[in-house]
Amino acid sequence: MINDFHYLKPASLKEALAMYAEHDDCKVICGGQSLLIVMRQGMVAPEYLLDIKHVKELSYIKFDEKDGLRIGATTTHREIEKSDIIAKKYPVLVAMEEKLASIQTRNWGTIGGNLAHADPAGDPGPVLIALNAEIKFGNSGGEKLVPLDEFFVDYFETQMEQGDLVLEVHVPAPEPKFGCAYQKFNLLDSDMGIVAAAASVTLNADGTCKDVRIVLGNAGPIPLRVTKAEDLLKGKKLDDALFAEAGTIASEECMPVADIHASEEHRRHVLGVLTKRMLKKAFEQAQTAA
Amino acid sequence: MSHAKYNVINTHVHNIDGVAKVTGRATYTFDVKLPGMLYGKILRSPHAHAKIKNIDTSAAMALPGVKIVVTGKDTLGVKQGIWRRYEELCDEQVLPLEKVRYIGEPVAAVAAITEEIAEAALDLIEVDYEVLPAVYEPLEAIKKEAPTIHEGVERNVNVTRHIEWGDVDEAFEEADYIREDWFKCSGQAHMCMETRAAVSSFTPDGKLTCWASTQSAYYTQGLLAGVLGLREGDVRVLAPYVGGGFGGKFELDAAMFTSAVMSMKLFKPVKVCFTREEDFIASKRRTPMFYYVRTGIKKDGTFCARESRMFSNGGAYTGMGATALYLSGFFHSFPYKWRGYRYDGYRVYTNTLPSTSMRGFGAPQAMFCSEQQIDWICADLGLDPFEVRRKNGHTEGYEVPGQAFIQSCGLEQCINEIEKWVKSKGKLPANRGIGISSCGFMSGGIFNWFDSPYSFSSAVVTINVDGTVELHVGCQDIGQGSNTTMAIIAAETLGVKVEDIRVHSGDTAHCPADLGAWGSRQTLMAGNAVKMACEDAKKQLLEFAYAEMGINIVYDLDIKDRWAHIVARPERGLPYVDLVKKALRAKDGQRIMGRGYYTPHRKGMISPAYSYMMQAVDAEIDPETGKIKIHEVMTAHDCGQPINQLGLIGQLEGAASMALGYAYLEDMPMEDGKLMNPNLVDYKVIKAPEMPEAGIIEIDTFEPEGPYGAKEAGEGLTNPTAAALGNAIYNAMGIQMKELPITPERVLKALREKKEQEAQK
Repeated sequence: MINDFHYLKPASLKEALAMYAEHDDCKVICGGQSLLIVMRQGMVAPEYLLDIKHVKELSYIKFDEKDGLRIGATTTHREIEKSDIIAKKYPVLVAMEEKLASIQTRNWGTIGGNLAHADPAGDPGPVLIALNAEIKFGNSGGEKLVPLDEFFVDYFETQMEQGDLVLEVHVPAPEPKFGCAYQKFNLLDSDMGIVAAAASVTLNADGTCKDVRIVLGNAGPIPLRVTKAEDLLKGKKLDDALFAEAGTIASEECMPVADIHASEEHRRHVLGVLTKRMLKKAFEQAQTAA
Repeated sequence: MSHAKYNVINTHVHNIDGVAKVTGRATYTFDVKLPGMLYGKILRSPHAHAKIKNIDTSAAMALPGVKIVVTGKDTLGVKQGIWRRYEELCDEQVLPLEKVRYIGEPVAAVAAITEEIAEAALDLIEVDYEVLPAVYEPLEAIKKEAPTIHEGVERNVNVTRHIEWGDVDEAFEEADYIREDWFKCSGQAHMCMETRAAVSSFTPDGKLTCWASTQSAYYTQGLLAGVLGLREGDVRVLAPYVGGGFGGKFELDAAMFTSAVMSMKLFKPVKVCFTREEDFIASKRRTPMFYYVRTGIKKDGTFCARESRMFSNGGAYTGMGATALYLSGFFHSFPYKWRGYRYDGYRVYTNTLPSTSMRGFGAPQAMFCSEQQIDWICADLGLDPFEVRRKNGHTEGYEVPGQAFIQSCGLEQCINEIEKWVKSKGKLPANRGIGISSCGFMSGGIFNWFDSPYSFSSAVVTINVDGTVELHVGCQDIGQGSNTTMAIIAAETLGVKVEDIRVHSGDTAHCPADLGAWGSRQTLMAGNAVKMACEDAKKQLLEFAYAEMGINIVYDLDIKDRWAHIVARPERGLPYVDLVKKALRAKDGQRIMGRGYYTPHRKGMISPAYSYMMQAVDAEIDPETGKIKIHEVMTAHDCGQPINQLGLIGQLEGAASMALGYAYLEDMPMEDGKLMNPNLVDYKVIKAPEMPEAGIIEIDTFEPEGPYGAKEAGEGLTNPTAAALGNAIYNAMGIQMKELPITPERVLKALREKKEQEAQK
């Protein structure tokens, strides 16, 4: 059963940060799609809940050809899913959101909340890291901007400290000849991935691989970049054999944990398959991209 | 078959409870709130097997707001069971006195002024356990050295069942080919939308009223009376709306029992609702089964003999498991003619959540083994699976020796239709296959293990002055739509419209006794009772019509569409409402009342009638990840005369989702007797995006024993699916799936083994 708590409802970002600074045993809620589950299980029992759902300053989607995409922390998954500009410029984000839990969850859950929760099985983390995103967070004393792949520290742990709020996600403008794909492996479409893989590929003008990112979901304590697999591909002319080899490396490099849904062996195997497939898909997109 | 033209039967009738349900006005047990009502919670065992040495409830009692704490010592200690005809199978004390036998078993209950306080009080109850060695698997529990779960039960064998006909050994000798396989079938949670719930109110006049989420108000009444030491008539059970049952809600459960015990001590209403987790860990499950199947066949495809042994994981108590043991063995022979058939079933106690009946009642497990093995045999011998099934299938007039007599059977047409459908699909892409499976199912059970002295079904119909009709039935609507089915049968029989009928059910004080919703019995049995009651009432009305119209007695009269008339000259008649008014006056104001009942006689051991079907599942396998995608499920189905087209579609789709879940998603993994996924995140139930198209081809038959020719439609549809999926995977990938559920990991393992075998060749 959920414990009794004090409910704080700031009207502005400034007020939110001030309130957060004042209350030690405080958790931020902005939909509660993750928090309420752990509260119901009694795993988290804060004295205060700071509800930033109504802090409108943090709800926005902005795009600029040079600067790229900026998504405010309290933007809902559904708003991202339904954004025309995101569909046009970052279709992988829309495809990811379409399979993130249920419509009800997407209507209420937010991008900032999802990333702050830092569940390694979360969908947005791997995709945004593959897109080379940065995350801005801060407290009443100041702000920090860090690459998203440095943001996650451990299971359900990030660089943020008590008093920090996620403020914004920044995704750079897509480079020419860029592709990005994501797929999760699960039994039910709307489930979190038993494992998942995101891959992005940027090609040089001569068709060789300029940059590649492979980020695995639920394959370790954080959304996991498999750099050995990435290094195999950089600078090379990509083909199916390389994708397969990268998959094999990824399946060795990852650190999944067994549970009732799949053994470690099966997870490693499927991560290898998904890595291979997402690389190929991203590569094909990059080839046809302007 | 020639059917009479019906006005209401076989049309699309919306569920008569539909509006109340979708507008949230239907009062489920969960919604019942009475003045002064207390909230109960149950303390459950953390041990799979332990002696209860002492329970200290003093600290819990001292918590402000707590009104009572009860343990087994506060009860009569009655060992109860639904097989109450057999004392040795009544083995469950809902609050045990001496020991616990599974994790989650109730040991104490608290009632308090709020649910929160009741829950907090549970933590203050101190139970001193002496942990005993436990055993979790039937093949372990049956060993000599295994711990004893119930005193005096040798090798933990709870029930055995032997079924045999023909000279089995001789029939095997005639076989040209014999195949043997072992299979493992998993458990499954009933996953009712409404968890187990009860509100009990005991009043100083010595009478108990219990609102319960039950499949049979009558069983609940009888069982409660037995454990509480009350007369059945002093217990009134109300079940106005029930959020699903699927075989899991006709035994006495801890919500009913603890709420009643506490209410009797306090003279206050007490409500106990299971959480979803409690429902998972402590409300019984589909029976896990190990099957050994040996089948002998001639080169030309004629079945000779089958010999099977089955070991089921009974869990801690008998429940309805004894019935599942018999029915699994019986339907394992279905729907084929065997010269010799022998089945030996062993239900073995273990220290796990008890297993019981669940939609299909042991048949989905039996068919998973049988129907796959038949396809493998066909492949081994180069035979056509359709042809072999046609050749050996049941036909009208067939007698399953000593067991059953088949009066109507559309199996051959089912096979023909599915064969056509499969062939129309043409060649499939790689990694995709269609599998088939046929089966049959009963329309209600005959064996009276509850020892009911009442007829199996009964109905009372009363006609009001304005022609509206009160229909009182004991059959239980648990969401499957039986109230609508009964309203249709009543409207058709009386010659009125569905909206003229008000159905009263789920109240033992006002409705006649009926065994309730299980074993696919209500359409046939309660349907017959309703038809008989309405015919009785109509006959009384028509007597007045004869007099009123002054017609030659050789003419037949009937009522259709609220018009009483001469059958041969339909224009000659009078409005039904006028007839009702006149009949009332003529009867000195007594209302027209009809009574009906049904009890099967001379219909064999199992059931008065059997449905038949063949199903095809179209599935695709990802050869690299093992993931299964179901494209379509198509079923050719002989349920006799369909009563409600909409209801039938609902049953088909519901069964397909439940059976597919059983086939490739749902599982109840345990570690040392502890269920590892007692929540809806980790327990996988099919959701809308995974649900494939589920089509139906209706096969027209007429069942002489059923009302208007109807037989079961809904439960049996759960039987063929796991096998059909297994056969689809076999056809797509050439691998044999012998264990449920068919997970991606098991698919990949089978693919690897196949590769290794091919490499060795």
